[in-house]
Amino acid sequence: MTTPTQAPMLEVKGLKKIYQRGFIKRQETFRLEADFTIDKPQVVGVMGPNGSGKTTMFELITGSNQPTAGEVLCAGQNIHNVKYRQRDRLAIHYHQSYQVRHFSKTKPSFLMENPVSDYPMIHLFDEPQFNTQDGYIGFMLEFFKKLRAEGRLVFLCVHPNEPFHTKIMREACDQYIFVQKGSVSRAGTYDELLEVDGVRDYLGALAAY
Amino acid sequence: MALFEAIHLHKRFGDQVVLEDISLTFEAGQLSGIMGPNGAGKSTCFNVLTGHYKPNAGKVMFEGKDITGLPPRVIAGMGIARSFQLMNLFDEFTVIENILVALPESVAKSFNIGHDIMGNSSATDRAADVLAKVGLTGRELELAGNLPYGERRALEIGVALASEPRLLFLDEPTQGLGADGTARLEELIGELKKTYSIVIIEHDMKFLFGLADTISVIHWGQVIAQGSPDQLRDNEWVRASKIGDAA
Repeated sequence: MTTPTQAPMLEVKGLKKIYQRGFIKRQETFRLEADFTIDKPQVVGVMGPNGSGKTTMFELITGSNQPTAGEVLCAGQNIHNVKYRQRDRLAIHYHQSYQVRHFSKTKPSFLMENPVSDYPMIHLFDEPQFNTQDGYIGFMLEFFKKLRAEGRLVFLCVHPNEPFHTKIMREACDQYIFVQKGSVSRAGTYDELLEVDGVRDYLGALAAY
Repeated sequence: MALFEAIHLHKRFGDQVVLEDISLTFEAGQLSGIMGPNGAGKSTCFNVLTGHYKPNAGKVMFEGKDITGLPPRVIAGMGIARSFQLMNLFDEFTVIENILVALPESVAKSFNIGHDIMGNSSATDRAADVLAKVGLTGRELELAGNLPYGERRALEIGVALASEPRLLFLDEPTQGLGADGTARLEELIGELKKTYSIVIIEHDMKFLFGLADTISVIHWGQVIAQGSPDQLRDNEWVRASKIGDAA
């Protein structure tokens, strides 16, 4: 198995995605900007209001959405230069239970690179369905730890609307990303996250948990 | 040597990864469970294990032999029987005829079954034994289509047992059963597991936790947890859930 080393797990460099509308008079409708590096295998909690750009960020990291500017390096390799079909060997995106696979294809695959890894280095779990009744939460949280122990990077995006959601985020994650209006803030602990501008408003009454 | 082993299975449909590096081991004499939420890849996994789909990578081994990619009828002939999530019975045939046509000698003759085999007393004796195992003694001459749902499910398991399998796969056996039916099925499978090696795919966790020796939890096409029911319950969130109550 090829296991890339040395390079950070994930480098998001000067990444921009700008959506515009109108043909003659171009008008910007949405802009996401991100610039961060994650060196080590970790579980990264992601939160943010609907429409803030979380899913766009995930799509840019997995290479399913083409950035306007900047690059995403997974284990040192620019995922946007990798053959479409093999990008999931670097980063894989699950929304709820299902893998997300929609590519905006800009050039033929034979002109592109093979991935440096043969298993997904980065796992993005976008709003997994948590239900306290069925016990799966316990299995999922143990699985995230297992992936981390195997040297992988895990993103866990949760949209908290119950106290147990914030409990999961507090307990399961090593660091946090908060996405709001297309900009990305980071926090090293859950308590630091609560101090990030906008987080308490976003969580509302759940900020107390 | 394990009775049955799946090693690093990968399965994609087009661009979609459905199974990502699944490894499973089923031991002889045990009841192994596979569970997972809807869309987790359980049925695909089952279809790869029983030869209905070919994996893109990885191996399936039965009794030390590589059976990867062999057609289902060859795998069945090697001693692996399976039931389906949707029932697979001859409704216009009687209960005992459904069993008779599944006996190895009928399968070998394939055509000209039915009346011919009804006269074969050793076959009818064995069919009666199978029906006794699944609790359908006394229902031999009923049309399969007239049986209540729970008994149809039992008959379907009987059809699988008629082939004298060394490994029995059951796909969502509680599907469509009410609480009573599920309880009766649990009792039936509890009996069968004394003599058969069984693999069950189920989303009814309580049912599986009550029966299985080991359980593999599949989600996102991956094995996210594996162990005995007690090992799996050893987690704060699992203890607080309804499978925790069952402990």
